[in-house]
Amino acid sequence: MKRIFGLFVLLISLGFMLTTCTLDTQPARAGQQPASKAKVKIRLATWAGVDEAKELQAVIDKINARATTFQIVSEPIPADYYTKIQTMIVGNTAPDLFWLSQEYVVPYASKGALLNLTDRLKTDRRPAAKMDDYFPAVLESAQFRGRTYGLPWIAQPVILYYNKDLFKKAGVAEPTDAWTWDDFYNAAKKLTDPNKGQYGVTVNGWPPIHMFIWQAGGEVISPDLKSSPIDSPEAIKALDFYGKIIYNPEVAPPRNVVNEQGFSEMFKKGKVAMFFGGAADDLDRVPGLDAGVALVPKGPKNRATFAWSASTVISAQTKHPQEAYDALVELTEGIHNWKIVAPRKSLATKAHLVKAEPRKEKAADTIIKAASDMRAFRIIPRHPEWDTIFWEQVQDPLFSKKGAAADLAKAARPKLEALLPR
Amino acid sequence: MNKVARNFFKNSIIFFLLGLGGAIVVVPLLWMLSTSLKGPDALFIYPPQWLPKPPVWRNYIDAWKMLPFGRFLFNTIFITVLAMVAELFTASLVAYGFARWRFPGRDVLFVILLATMMLPGAVTLIPSFLIWRNLGLLDTFDPLTVGAWFAWGPAYIFMMRQFLLTIPKEMEEAAIIDGANVAQIYWLVMLPMIRPAMLAIAVFVFQGNWNNLQAPLIYLNSMEKFPVMLGLKFFEQSLSKEAPMWNYMMAMSVLLALPILVLFFAAQRYFIEGLNMGATKG
Amino acid sequence: MFSPYLGTLVRWSLVGATMIALMYGTYKGLRLLKVRREAAVGYALILPWLLGLIIWQAYPILASFYLMFNEYDVLQSPRWIGPGNFKTMFFGDPRFWPSVRLTLGYSFLSVPLGMAGALATATLLSRNIRGVGFWRTLYYVPAVLPAAATALLWRWMFAGQGLINTVLGPVYRLLNIAPLTWFSDEKLVLPSFIIMSFWGVFGANTVILLAALKNVPKELHEAARVDGAPGWTRFWKITVPMISPALFYTLVMGMIGAMQNFTAPLFITTPGGVGTFLSVYIYQQGFTQFKMGYATAIAWFLLVLILLLTLVVFKSSPVWVYYEGEKKGD
Repeated sequence: MKRIFGLFVLLISLGFMLTTCTLDTQPARAGQQPASKAKVKIRLATWAGVDEAKELQAVIDKINARATTFQIVSEPIPADYYTKIQTMIVGNTAPDLFWLSQEYVVPYASKGALLNLTDRLKTDRRPAAKMDDYFPAVLESAQFRGRTYGLPWIAQPVILYYNKDLFKKAGVAEPTDAWTWDDFYNAAKKLTDPNKGQYGVTVNGWPPIHMFIWQAGGEVISPDLKSSPIDSPEAIKALDFYGKIIYNPEVAPPRNVVNEQGFSEMFKKGKVAMFFGGAADDLDRVPGLDAGVALVPKGPKNRATFAWSASTVISAQTKHPQEAYDALVELTEGIHNWKIVAPRKSLATKAHLVKAEPRKEKAADTIIKAASDMRAFRIIPRHPEWDTIFWEQVQDPLFSKKGAAADLAKAARPKLEALLPR
Repeated sequence: MNKVARNFFKNSIIFFLLGLGGAIVVVPLLWMLSTSLKGPDALFIYPPQWLPKPPVWRNYIDAWKMLPFGRFLFNTIFITVLAMVAELFTASLVAYGFARWRFPGRDVLFVILLATMMLPGAVTLIPSFLIWRNLGLLDTFDPLTVGAWFAWGPAYIFMMRQFLLTIPKEMEEAAIIDGANVAQIYWLVMLPMIRPAMLAIAVFVFQGNWNNLQAPLIYLNSMEKFPVMLGLKFFEQSLSKEAPMWNYMMAMSVLLALPILVLFFAAQRYFIEGLNMGATKG
Repeated sequence: MFSPYLGTLVRWSLVGATMIALMYGTYKGLRLLKVRREAAVGYALILPWLLGLIIWQAYPILASFYLMFNEYDVLQSPRWIGPGNFKTMFFGDPRFWPSVRLTLGYSFLSVPLGMAGALATATLLSRNIRGVGFWRTLYYVPAVLPAAATALLWRWMFAGQGLINTVLGPVYRLLNIAPLTWFSDEKLVLPSFIIMSFWGVFGANTVILLAALKNVPKELHEAARVDGAPGWTRFWKITVPMISPALFYTLVMGMIGAMQNFTAPLFITTPGGVGTFLSVYIYQQGFTQFKMGYATAIAWFLLVLILLLTLVVFKSSPVWVYYEGEKKGD
């Protein structure tokens, strides 16, 4: 008995020791300086990982140094982000500002969780508050029933990264702007050699299947948000094409290989020749990997590319709406000079892009070109449910070869349309 | 002669079978250890190496440092200590009440207690969450510790009551004659006698808190409040975004299994007694 | 920095002190009402549990009974939709029935298999061999490992190039088939979970059954041996009936536990088509999608499943569980 008691004491003191060590080495958080007594603390939640959070902190430090009314405190949540955000909103401990990727703003706004910015933005002259400078398709995702609930801080088009060495070894010509779906598929096939564990391309639901539907001339949700024509001939063509690539060992790694060896990781390790990545991804600066970038292959109708975009929003629970708003505009301006591509027409230039991210100089032309083909999701208030059905009843069974695209799409359409706003 | 040979033969078979079972238990554990000492390039080598050359001891330090695991450890201990004290205190009192005192409705209440052992936590999960939300205590340690004052864990009460029933009443009766009140009897007479059961339950409560994932997952949001298992989940998730780094994951698994293993080896008796306490006379 | 700890510590102490005060108050109050001393003490002692029963069991059960007929995302107030959640569950949710199948399949297969393994091991150990303690400890080790660590370990064991496939490599070549993909293969998810549980669970059962075996009176065996009953007959006719209460206990507790398997599946990603364990599904619906009403509906379904299962086992128990006469020892 004594022994066990001793063991508990030992464990506890060990814990104390380790904690003291860790606490000492933790850097002091910005925003806790004693001088800022009169300034309001504005909490900002992001999904930034370790490195990204450091860069963001640098942006914030500059803003905080200038600001007279607020101090932004960054709270990165690198995993399980949306669950945590929602739990915080539910628990009335929501951060004042937080990031939401494009598909979340409308659902949150429709539930009254976000602060309406429309009136404040109207009278604001600062460049980051100028609504007509934003790409309309991107800004739309931060708006609900004509009101604006957030400021987009990024809109990165999907581009095609490719491994030059693998192309050379397989004797395949590098992708060009003229590439079609067929060119792409044939190249992927030639670049695949399962015995060497090498594949042409890897997809797993990313890039979004929507992109291919748009490219074929189809729509996922119609512009008036009244229908979901995913069983149109154009959409079926795209679903079939995606289904032909995914987990097909002729061109792409099977599911279990993706699960075990990672997704973009396989491209970084030189095991996959082509990868659809966001323009800002670091795939073209992996040591020992000679990577090129190209526009995504052209579909039957157009070359629409998906714009991965995200906004910063203000919680409806904030106790300091005015300070939070000021912080939001300043922060957005700061991020526009850090992240690429800034979702503003006046900033979508090669010069600005290279200034914000010098490491992207070689890819800059392609990115700017891709930006003109960008499209974003049309988001409805019940998007999470809509998306779950689209995934569980169309995409997942299609990818697992459990049904034909036409049948799945036809069966799912009425269920999807039932969720559209009436 | 013949009998000796037959016995020897029989024993050999038993030992062979036991050894086989032992190997099934041990091999995965060795595989875990071996993986935890591999560099990233050695993970997918075929045929696999059992003794990584060279062993990468740094994995342990690197994995530990990826997230504030020191802080997580402290949180787990903090939660465990508070929950354990409250739990042991109330469970033993309630069990004492059920075992020794007669009051109308006692047997019905005891059956209800047994029935709650079968109630899946999922049914009460969401309303409990809403209660803590309305109290404004989400993302605090309260839901994981304060509730213990309500003698949660009917299994512990049951175990303790079973143990109390095996203790003769003479000591208490003598104390009552001497004029001791209930608090004195509990403190001076009962506590020393039920100490083995208390220790067995303490061991289980420790194990339960160390391994608990669901409650922290639901109630805690900020990383600085995570206990170790939630840390491990978080760790796994951050690593799994890309290729799972199995060497780090195994290193972390080894580290988190270690305290409970040490406790198990030190307090084996209580583990086993506790198990059997629950099982007898079910 | 230490405020989260301090806050909880203060509230924890306050609740503890209040609880003690309430217990004392209950005693005094009941005495004032002329309740017998013995009863007053009894009620005071069980007060913490009684309050817990009301606050953390009874009220939540009522609340969740109400909630399951509602759509509720916490942000907006609950909206009554009658049986809507059950309609979705039974007819509109492609992940629900696969999840039920996985959960039930797992309980039905892993528990009896685990018990058989445990019984076999316990029988071997109950022969007076040397080092029983050593073996018992060894077999118990997987059961004390954190479920999360076990899950990670087995995910890695079952990986495409993991240890299991390496060991089975010659078999694959002999049969000329592609290596199995275990947790990534819809058909193999359930067997994989069962194999994993077999490793993790049977240690605890071994300990319980071993203790039960030790309690089987030697004289019974001796008498049967004298009568010329062979080993197997003695095992089935004497040993099994004598330890059947312990078997019953492990079966019931094992089933209830298996139906609520949570940690391991949370760490193991499986293909969408097989669904997931119901506890995990409830968590996902409730706390990642915030469909609280729907989640409670599934929780009630799980509760009914568990009740039915327990009922079946209990009803069948007179057939196979043998309780010795009322008057044995304690």
